[in-house]
Formats: sequence, structure tokens, C-alpha cells
Amino acid sequence: MEEEETYLELYLGQCAVQDDLALPRSTLFSPGVPYDVYIPNPSNPETAFNSHLEEVKETSGDFSSVDLSFLPDELTQENKDQTVIRSKHEIENCKTQSQDSRLPLSSEEDVRLGVNSSSLSHSQSHLYPGDADSVQPSPEKPNSNLLPLGSIAPMTPMTPVSECSKIVPQLQNIVSTVNLACKLDLKKIALHAKNAEYNPKRFAAVIMRIREPRTTALIFSSGKMVCTGAKSEEQSRLAARKYARVVQKLGFPARFLDFKIQNMVGSCDVRFSIRLEGLVLTHQQFSSYEPELFPGLIYRMVKPRIVLLIFVSGKVVLTGAKERSEIYEAFENIYPILKGFKKA
Amino acid sequence: MPGGGRCPDCGSTELVEDSHYAQSQLVCSECGCVVSEGVLTTTFSDEGNLRAVTYSQSTGENEQVSRSKQRGLRRVRDLCRVLQLPPTFEDTAVAYYQQAYQHSGIRAARLQKKEVLVGCCVLITCRQHNWPLTMGTICTLLYADLDVFSGTYMQIVKLLGLDVPSLCLAELVKTYCSSFKLFQASPSVLAKYVEDKEKMLSRTLQLVELANETWLVTGRHPLPVITAAAFLAWQSLQPSDRLTCSLARFCKLANVDLPCPAASRLQELLAVLLRMAEQLAWLQVLKLDKRSVVKHIGDLLQHRHMLVRKAFRDGKVEMETQGKEGQGQGQGEEEAGNCSLDLPEKKRPASPALLLPPCMLKPPKRIHPTPPVSLVTGDEDISDSEIEQYLRTPQEIRDFQRAQAARQAATSVPNPP
Repeated sequence: MEEEETYLELYLGQCAVQDDLALPRSTLFSPGVPYDVYIPNPSNPETAFNSHLEEVKETSGDFSSVDLSFLPDELTQENKDQTVIRSKHEIENCKTQSQDSRLPLSSEEDVRLGVNSSSLSHSQSHLYPGDADSVQPSPEKPNSNLLPLGSIAPMTPMTPVSECSKIVPQLQNIVSTVNLACKLDLKKIALHAKNAEYNPKRFAAVIMRIREPRTTALIFSSGKMVCTGAKSEEQSRLAARKYARVVQKLGFPARFLDFKIQNMVGSCDVRFSIRLEGLVLTHQQFSSYEPELFPGLIYRMVKPRIVLLIFVSGKVVLTGAKERSEIYEAFENIYPILKGFKKA
Repeated sequence: MPGGGRCPDCGSTELVEDSHYAQSQLVCSECGCVVSEGVLTTTFSDEGNLRAVTYSQSTGENEQVSRSKQRGLRRVRDLCRVLQLPPTFEDTAVAYYQQAYQHSGIRAARLQKKEVLVGCCVLITCRQHNWPLTMGTICTLLYADLDVFSGTYMQIVKLLGLDVPSLCLAELVKTYCSSFKLFQASPSVLAKYVEDKEKMLSRTLQLVELANETWLVTGRHPLPVITAAAFLAWQSLQPSDRLTCSLARFCKLANVDLPCPAASRLQELLAVLLRMAEQLAWLQVLKLDKRSVVKHIGDLLQHRHMLVRKAFRDGKVEMETQGKEGQGQGQGEEEAGNCSLDLPEKKRPASPALLLPPCMLKPPKRIHPTPPVSLVTGDEDISDSEIEQYLRTPQEIRDFQRAQAARQAATSVPNPP
């Protein structure tokens, strides 16, 4: 036990040194490059990859002996990004350094870092579209969708990274919530505001609309508010602030607390027809296709956790995202799968 | 079911074991005559079927099971018997119901949902055995709404983590066509309308396969396609007498409901057949239309694979020629393809149409402009005037209140004391 721990510390000490040397190179970790990458033996990438897979299964039981205390358990948003970036640097540099990268550490970290990947990409979401293009395709590296969140879920087939589509999903709707932190008199709001409707028998909230950005809000008497209809995160925030101002002007001490994007919906067109029956056969665990109920196929992607509605005309609707990058990532994951079904 | 028994009244061998209150009986399913009564059930099975059993003889089997669960299990068995499913299906469906009942969300659900759950379990069992049962049938039997059924079905599949295969189209064709009352002459079905079952079945199957290949089935409800295919098959087997019969009349003859989309499926299928006919030399000269092509469906089906390949090309190549941005690999293939197509004929066959689902062939209803990239940061200043445009002036408030009061008075007046 002790031996292993000191070995680990020694190893990480080495990595920390390399970390300092290599820091300027890898300041920002591109989310486009898969996390579970390690440099396999260059002479034989295939077998190294296979043995990595086996190793994952073998070492899954050994984590009790590994000291992972440097990864905090409860990560807050701010700490997450920093810690993850830091640990990523270590791992990245460890991997570039050593040929023998068979740390039992790496496989669990990959899973953990897979969990944190969405938060990381949030901090760099504005870089994402650009990064996707600038990623150097490296055929020996497995694709990021190879390591889903739960180890129970079967792996999706391996696809080369170079097949990135030129299509960018358009955001169609953003749903966000905010807390105005004061009790509201809905009757008074409905009376004093022109753009409000209130039918207590039908629904217990005021429905208010503004013209710019074109959105709708549900305002509840507890002071909570839901804002829908915006086409971007910033527009949603601006609209929510406008609603809060309206409520303020009506005489309530409204504040603007805990603004959070709850759901993002995007859509795009792959421009070719898709054999949905074939897709449901090969991706049974993720797809649900019931033509008697709904003409589209419902694909529940595990990583990132997005639901896609795929139609025979090639139109794809992506929903369930909390961040823009999840939608882009989900589309990049589904595009190669759909291309496989292009021809009958 | 039991071997060797014959009904004394009508002589049929279709004897069914049924229970009348607590007593089991052997009943003829043709005439309803009770052949024999006797102890063919045990106390255990009686309790399982919610039969009354004397306390001293009871096994205590059902004391752990709640009434509503017992009722549900009973309903599952009844539904399986009504649908005349094989006996193994019953056990599987009951097992699914019990599995579902373990979840608290299902235990606390309303009776309507539990009723629909019965149908869901039976449907899942049938799907897994490739038995072609449609959701419409179950909803009709349970008097349930399709919306409620679909919600419960999706929920239960997710909850139990089940892998439910798709509806088997070939089996559905067989079952559905067999239900048509066209195979024997009767007062309503004239002799010229009677058709041989096997011939009609095989031709309908071929037409449904053709529809599947040409994108008419993906994303659509399967039943209307089969109705349209059956209609065309029936017409084409004796076109001289049957061309005058419409789809609606055909369904009335066959004693089958006409699903709404069947008419448009029929038109789509005829359009496909017309395209295929344009590739056959001896049919080109005839200048066929939607009615006359029916006479030649037999020939078209015989050569359907080749005709579909010739009549349609992938969307890839056509998009190039129409100037859209598309994949550029098809160019070389197109040249080669056209050369091989140049048969030694005086008249060239019609240029290949796109093999695409109908929704992609129709022109888009409205152009979708890409929205301009907005430079909103979310932290801009909000001017007072902008907010004030949404607020009512005091005068407007008074007017509004007066109007509301007047409306209230008006609605409450028609109530004579």
C-alpha cells in the first residue's frame, strides 16, 4: 500500500515538473480532442488500443488502492474548471512523457473527467466551433463518444475524428428560470401590465410577453419566473432582466437571483434521407422508433445527455442541453452515425 | 384445445376451457354448447383468476397481492384470451405486469393508467414474439385514448428497460389481409369481387415491399400503406371488373375501416408505379395514367427490382445537376450511369427521378432564413421607456376595471331570481 502511494507521488512529482515546462503549449484544453486519449505504442496503435480496453476492465476493481485525493469530491463550478484543467495538464503531460502509460489511474479519471467535460466546455464554449475545425485528426486516437458516462452502457462504434460536418445546429429555443425573491400579487400585475394575461382557473401564473427579444414569461406568485422563446443564452438573460424590470416598475422589490438556463433546443438538416428502421436496429439501446405514434426516431444519447429527434427527411432536433456545446457535441456524434444510413 | 373432444351439437372440435363462476366448463366455441363441466381447475388457479373459493380450502396465495393488482393480472389474461394469443404469451404478459407493479409510480397511478398498462404489457409480449398487434387494436379493445396509451407505453418501456422490436410488416400484412371479407361470395360481395386469398396476399406483400423500398413506409403509420397496397393488388387481379370500384367502396365490401391516410398512400404508390412503367419499353407507348397502370401491376411487380433501380437515382446526383450544394463524388458515376442507361431505343426512358421520401420531394412550405447573428450580451442597459410601453396608464387601468366589472355584471344577469 505505502509503496504504491509513494510511487504515485513520485510519478506525479515528475509530471508536475513537466507541467511547468510544458505549460505555455497547452493553456487551453480543446474539448474537441477526446479525453480518454493516451499515446499508444506508435508501432502498433491498434493492439495498444485493444489492450487499453482490456485494461479498463481489469483495473476497474483496483481503484480502492489508488489515491485520488487530489480530485475533490464535491466540485463547485469555479473549482471544477480550475481543478480539471490542472489535472488534465498533468495527465496530458504524463501521457506525452511516458511510453508506459498504463496507470490504473487514467481510466477512472477519464470517466470522472468525462463527467466534468461539460463544465469545462462551458468555460470554453465560445471556442468550441472553431476548435472542432482545428482539431488535428489523429487516426489512432479513439473518438470521445467511445467512453460513455456509465460503464454499463455498450460502446458506440468507433468513428474517425476527421469526419466533422460543416453543419452547425441553430438554437431555436432557450428555457431559463430566475428568482425574483419577493411575493407577487398576480392580480395587480395583470391589471397594471398591458402584456400580461392571468386566468387563475386555468393556470396559477401570469403569462407575460415582450417584443424584443421575442419571449414569453410565466410569473408565479412565489416570485419565481420561467422565461421561454429566446434564441440565445444572452437574449434569454436580457429578456429575463426586462421582465424583472417590468415587475419592479409595478412596485415590487424584485431582484434577479439564480438565473439558470434549464433547457436548450437546437435543430439542423443533414440534407439526406435516413433509413430510420435501420438505425433503430443497429442502435437499439439508444433509439426508440414507433411509427404508429410518432414519425421520428427518438435517440437518447448518453454522452452528452441529449435527446435527438431524427426524421426521415434528414432534419434533426436536439433538446435537453444545458449548454450550447452539448448540442454541438451531440450533433458531431450523431452525424457519422447518420451518414452510415444515407443509402438504403 | 383438449384433444379428441367433439361438440354434440355442431360437431366442431373447437372446444375451449372456460370457467363459469367457480366451476370450470368445456364449451364449444362455435355454438356455445356446454360439453362438460368438472373439476378442471384447482383452488390455486381459481384464486389466480379471482374466483370465489371457500375459506377452509383457500391457499392464502392472494393475501399478499393487492386487489387492484389481482384485477390487473386478471385483465391481462382476459385480453390475451380475447386476442386468441398462444398460451405462453399470457405468462409473459403477466410477468411484465408484475414487474411493472413493483415500481411505486405504477402502484400509485390512476385506474385509467393501470388499465392501459394491461394493454402495454400484452403489446410488448406480442412484439417480442413478432405477433403483429397494432396499438390501434388494443386501444379499441380497451376503450383507451391513443395519447394515454402512448405515454404509458413509452414510460413502461423505459422503466423496465425493455428492448421492444419493431412491428413486423410482413406478419401484419398477412393478418390484416386475412381479415378482409373478400374471399367468399356473399350477398354484399358479388362474384366478380371475390378473390383468391393466396394470390391477393402475395401481391399485397410485394406492393408493400415496393412501398418500403421507395420510402413510402418510413415514418408513417403502417396500416394505411397496407390498405392501399391491398386495394391495388385486388384491383390488378381483375382490372376489367374492379377498376370502377373506389377505395372507400372496397373497404366497405371487405368490412374493414378505411384509415384516413390510405388515400394519399394510394396516390403515392400509383406515382411510383407510373415512374416504373416509364422504364418498360412496351408500356411507354401506352401513355399510362393512374387508372390504366393498374392493369400492368403484375408485370411491374415481376421486374420491380430492376425497374426501381432504373427509374430512380439517389438524391446525391440529382442535387448536383440542380445546382444545389451537395456531395461532389457522384459526378463520375452519373456519366457512367447514363451511358449504360442509353438502351438502343428510339425513345429514351424518362430521366431518373429522385428516390426520396415524399416529404423531401414537396417544395418547402416557407423558406427558413438563417437568423442574423445577434450581438446581444445580456447585460445591456434597459431603457425606462422600453419598459413603460408595457405598463398601463392610470386612465387605462380605470377603463379596464370598468370594462371587467361590466362584463361580470353581464354574465351574471341571465339568472332570474
